[in-house]
Amino acid sequence: MSVPVQLDQGSRAPARRGRRLRAFARNPAFVAGSIILAIFVLMAVFADVLFPGDPFDMVGQPVLWPGADPEFPLGTDSLGRDVLAGLVHGARVSLLVGVVAAAIGLAIGTVVGALAGFFGGWVDTWLLRIVELFQTTPTFLLVVVIVAIGEPTVQTIAVAIGIASWPTVARLVRAQFRSLREADFVMAARSLGYGNIRIIVQEIMPNALPPIIVAASVMIANAILTEAGLSFLNMRDPNLISWGGMIGAGRDLLRTAWFLTALPGVAIALAVLSLNLVGDGLNEILNPRSDP
Amino acid sequence: MRMYRRVGASLRRTALHAGPTILGIVVLNFLLLQLVPGDAADVLASESGTATAEGMAAIRARFGLDQPVLTQLMAFLGHLAHFDLGFSPRYNMPVLDMIMSRLPATLMLMLTALSIALVLGILMGAVMAAWVGRWPDRVLSVVVLLFYSMPGFWVGLMAIVLFSVHLGWLPSDGNMTVGASLHGFALIGDRLKYLVLPALALASFFIAVYARLTRAAMLEVQRQEFMRTAQAKGLHPIVVQLRHALRNALIPVTTVAGMHLGNLLGGAVVVETLFGWPGMGRLALEAVLARDFSVLMGVLLLSSFLVIIANMLIDLLHAWLDPRIGAA
Amino acid sequence: MTSKFRTTRRATLLGLSALALPGIARAAPSRGGTLNFMQNNEPQTLVALTTVATPALTVSAKVTEGLLAYDYDIKPRAQLATEWSISPDGKTYTFKLRPNVRWHDGKDFTSADVAYSIQLLKTIHPRGRNTYANVTEVQTPDALTAVIVLSKPAPYLIKALTAAESPMMPRHIYEGSDPLANQNGNAPIGTGPFRFKEWVRGSHILYERNPDYWGQPMPYLDRIVFKFLPDPGARSIAFENGTADIGYRTPVALSDLDRLKKIPTLMFETKGTSYSYNVANLQFNLDSAIFKNAKVRQAIAHSIDRAAIVKTVLYGYGVISESPIAPGLKEFHDPSPSPYKYDLKAAEQLLDEAGYPRGANKTRFKVPLDYNPIGDENRRLAEFMRSALARIGITVDIRAADASAFVKRVYTDREFDFTLNGHSNLFDPTVGVQRIYWSKNFKKGVPFSNGSHYDNPKVDALLEGAAVEIDPAKRAAMFKEFQQIVAVDLPDINLYSPLYLTIKNRRVHDDSMTADGVESNMAECYVDA
Repeated sequence: MSVPVQLDQGSRAPARRGRRLRAFARNPAFVAGSIILAIFVLMAVFADVLFPGDPFDMVGQPVLWPGADPEFPLGTDSLGRDVLAGLVHGARVSLLVGVVAAAIGLAIGTVVGALAGFFGGWVDTWLLRIVELFQTTPTFLLVVVIVAIGEPTVQTIAVAIGIASWPTVARLVRAQFRSLREADFVMAARSLGYGNIRIIVQEIMPNALPPIIVAASVMIANAILTEAGLSFLNMRDPNLISWGGMIGAGRDLLRTAWFLTALPGVAIALAVLSLNLVGDGLNEILNPRSDP
Repeated sequence: MRMYRRVGASLRRTALHAGPTILGIVVLNFLLLQLVPGDAADVLASESGTATAEGMAAIRARFGLDQPVLTQLMAFLGHLAHFDLGFSPRYNMPVLDMIMSRLPATLMLMLTALSIALVLGILMGAVMAAWVGRWPDRVLSVVVLLFYSMPGFWVGLMAIVLFSVHLGWLPSDGNMTVGASLHGFALIGDRLKYLVLPALALASFFIAVYARLTRAAMLEVQRQEFMRTAQAKGLHPIVVQLRHALRNALIPVTTVAGMHLGNLLGGAVVVETLFGWPGMGRLALEAVLARDFSVLMGVLLLSSFLVIIANMLIDLLHAWLDPRIGAA
Repeated sequence: MTSKFRTTRRATLLGLSALALPGIARAAPSRGGTLNFMQNNEPQTLVALTTVATPALTVSAKVTEGLLAYDYDIKPRAQLATEWSISPDGKTYTFKLRPNVRWHDGKDFTSADVAYSIQLLKTIHPRGRNTYANVTEVQTPDALTAVIVLSKPAPYLIKALTAAESPMMPRHIYEGSDPLANQNGNAPIGTGPFRFKEWVRGSHILYERNPDYWGQPMPYLDRIVFKFLPDPGARSIAFENGTADIGYRTPVALSDLDRLKKIPTLMFETKGTSYSYNVANLQFNLDSAIFKNAKVRQAIAHSIDRAAIVKTVLYGYGVISESPIAPGLKEFHDPSPSPYKYDLKAAEQLLDEAGYPRGANKTRFKVPLDYNPIGDENRRLAEFMRSALARIGITVDIRAADASAFVKRVYTDREFDFTLNGHSNLFDPTVGVQRIYWSKNFKKGVPFSNGSHYDNPKVDALLEGAAVEIDPAKRAAMFKEFQQIVAVDLPDINLYSPLYLTIKNRRVHDDSMTADGVESNMAECYVDA
C-alpha cells in the first residue's frame, strides 16, 4: 500500500517540527549536556543570591582545604577567599565571555561567508583572501595582541576572541552557501523575482543553519577555553573573578594546595563538556547524513 | 608521470598565491601592531627601574621607533626584501638569530605532540569505529570527550602535580639539564625526560580531535559502496578496515592536522609558558608584552610560511591518498 | 657617612687589609663545584651599562667588576681600587688602582679604562647620567691612578661604585664603537672572578672560573649557571628538588615561604639587601579632578592601615614606611613624619567636607586605580586597597595593564587618578628619591620620574641642597625636613619597604658578604663538596 506523498511543504512543517523536538529529547548526549549546561547557567544567573557579597572578600583563614571547615565547603585560597563562591561567580564571566565571543564570531563569519558563498567570483576571491590572512595568524597570539590594544576587561577579551574566531565560521558558511545556491528552491525563488538579500536571508540561511548551530556550541566552548588560557597568563579583568584567573592565582601553591588549581579546572572542563555534548547532540539530530 | 605534473602544478599555484598573501599578512599585522599602546623604549625603561628622557630618546632613535608609521613599514619591507628580519631592541640581537635559537625547541615540542596525537587519536578512533555501539566505543568516547573539554594547560598543571611534585619522576620546567655535558643515549634520555609532560599536555586536545574525526570518517566510509565490494571480494575484515576505511578516514584527519601544523607557532603559547619551554610561542608572547614588534613580525611571518607549506603538504598527501582528488 | 678625613685613613687601612686577606672567613672554603643561580627573568644584556634591570645587575657583576665593594652599612671596601680619598671640598676623588689586574683577554687594566668607563656611564647609563652629572673630567696621572674631578660636590658618588652600579669596562673593546650596539654586552670581557662561557637564549648563561683572577685563591666556584624561571611555582619546585642553589629578592611566592622554611636543605638569608631598598607607594595624579583636592588625599591617608598591609599582602615580610626614604637608610629615614594616622572617622569627615557625601547607595564616588604590573604583590595590594577604600565609601575600579601600557598611561598620557607604584631608594636618597619629588624631574614619557606632578619650591630647594651638601649632619637634617613636608603635602602615600630574602641551599656559603649581596662579584662564594 502506498501512502500519497505530500508535496506541500507548509503542511509538513508542524509534524516535522514535532518529530524533531522528540528527537532532541531522545538523544542522550544532548539531554545530558543540556542539563549540565543549565546548571551552570543557573549558577551564573543566581550567583548573587547563592553567594551574596563580593567573591573577592577575604572572609576566611587562608588556604583551608575542602571539607576542613563546613563554612567553606571547597576551601579558601591564599588570601582567604571562598573557593565555592569564586566558582559560582566565575561561571558568569566564563559563560558571558563565551557567549558574547561566539556571537561576535558567528555574526561576522556568517555575513562574510554568506556573501562569499552566494556571490562567488571576485567577491569570493577577495573575501577568501581576508579569511586566509586571519587564519595564518596564530589565533591565540591575535587575541593577545587585540587585548593588548585595549585594556584587559571582559568586554575587550570577548571582542578579541570573537574577532579571532570568525574565519572558521566563514569557511563553514561559505561552503554551505556554495552548495545551496544551486538548489532548486533558490532557482524557484529567483524566477519569482526575489532579490538577492531576500534569497540569502529567507531561503538559504534557514537551510544552512544546522551546521552553524553546531558550530556555535563549539565556538562557545573554545571561547571559554581561550579565556581560561588568557586569565592564566594574567590577562584577565582584575575586577571580576573567573575560573582561569583562579587557576592562575592558585598556581603559586601548586605544591600544597593543588585543589586551588584543580577545582576551577574541573569547572571549566564540565562546562566545556556540556557544550560539546549539546553540540554533538545537535549534530546528530540536525545533520541529515546521520539519519539511519 | 601524472603525479609529478600534478605536484608541479600545485606548487606553482601555491607559489603564485603565496607572494601577495604574505605581503598582505606583513602589512596588515604591522599596522595592527601600531595600534598597541606603548613601545619597546617604554618597556626597557620600566624594567630598568630608572630612566631618563635622553636615554629613552636614544633608544627610540636607535631603533627607528620615533619615525612615522609608513616610514617604519617601508624600512621593514626593505629589510625583508634582503631577507633581513631586523634587530630586536629587547634581546639585543638580530631577530633571525633570536628566532632560529627558539625554533628547534618549538618544532620538537609541536611535532612530538602532533605525532603522539595522530598515533593515539587514530588508534582510538579506529577502535571506537570497529566496536561501534559496544562498551569499548562508549568508554573511549567518554575519555575522548574529557580530553576535548579539559584545557591543555590544566592537564599540564595536574600532570606536574602528579609526576613532578608527588612522584618526582619528571622535571617540571625547561627543556634540558643545564651544565651537564651528555652524549648519545644519555643526551636523548635527558631531552625526552623534559619533553614528555609538555608534549602530553599539548597533545591531549588533539588526541580527542583526531579520535573523533577518525571514528566519524571510518563509520561514514563503512557505509559506502566500495566497502561492500571489498568485503564481497572476500578480503579479511581487518585488511578491509586498514586498507580502505582507514586510508579514506585519513583525509579529513590530515586536513585538520595540517591546519594544526600551521597553527604550530602560536598554539603552544600557554603550555610553553607553563613549562618554561624555550620555544617560539613563549617568545611571541614575551615580544607582545615587551612591545618588541620586530621579533613579533618575524614570528608571524614564519607562521604564515608554515601555514602555506603545511597546506601544500596536505594537498600533496591527499593527492596520494585519494587519486580522485588530484584529477580535479 | 664619615667625614672626608676619616674616610681617607680608614679607607686606606681597609683597602690595604683587603689586599692582604681575601675572604676573611672561618674554615677554609672548599674549592670547586657549580652554583645554580636562579633568576626570575632573562637579562637583556650581560653588562649593566645600558640597563639597570635586576637580572642584568647580577650577571654583570661577576664578570665586570667595579672600583669598590661595600659592607652591610655601605662602607667602602677595595675591589679594583685599593685606596681612595676625597678632597676636603668634596670635588676631587683620587683612586689608587690595584696593580697586575688583567682583562679576560690578557690586556692590562689601567686608569685609562676607569676614565673611559666613567665617561661612558655619564653618557649612557640610566642612573649614571645623574650620578656622574657633575663630573668634568677624569685625570689619569699614571696607569694606576684615576682622579675624578667634579664641578660641584656629589656626596652620593662614593657609594655608587659597585660592580653592578658602575661597571669598569674595557676601553680597548668599546672605544670607537657604538656602545649600545657593542657585542661585548652579549659576551663580556671583564676583570672579574668569572669568565663568560656561553649564553643560550631562553635557557641559561654559563660562567666559568677565571684562572688568572687577581684575587687568588678566589674564586672558589668552578662554574656559575644562571637559569631563568619566570614562574614562581616553578622556582619553589626548583629549590625543593635542588636544581636551584640560590635566588634573591624573595624569588618565590610569599605564601610559599612558610612551607619552604620547613625544608631542611634550604636557608634564608636577610643580609645583602642593604644597597637598594624599595618603597611601595600610592601615587596621586595631582592634576586629577578628584585628587587635586588635598582633603580627599588626606582622607585616603587616614584610611590606610599599613600594619594590615604588611600582614596580609606581604605575609609579614615588610617594614612600614611612612616616608619615601626606606627604613634601611637609617641615617636619613624619619619613622613618623605623617600627621595622618589610621582613623576612619577622620577620613569620612574629610570626605564629607571635601564635597563627596555618601550617596543613595552608600558610595561617594567611583575612581579607577592603576598598579605597576612589575612584581607580584601589587595586584594583591590593589585588591587590598579596593576593600580598604570601600569602607569609607569609595568604589575602586582596578585597571590592569602590562608594563608598556602602564608606562604610557601613567607617565606619557598621564591619564590616571592614582596608582600603586614602587621606587628603589638605591644607595642614597639623592639618587633614588629626589627623582620622584623634584619639580624639574616632571618629564612626560619617562617612567619613575615625578609622576604626580608635584611642585613645591621649598622641597626643590631642600633636595637640591642635599645633593651637594658634604656635611653629613646638615644633609640628614635637610632630608628630615623634606620628609615632613612631603608627608603633609601628600603627592603620594608611602606604604612599606619589602624585606627581601635570599633563598639558598645549605651547601652554599659566603654568597652575601656585601651590601649588595648576590649582586656582587661573588668571588668569596663557595659550595660544599
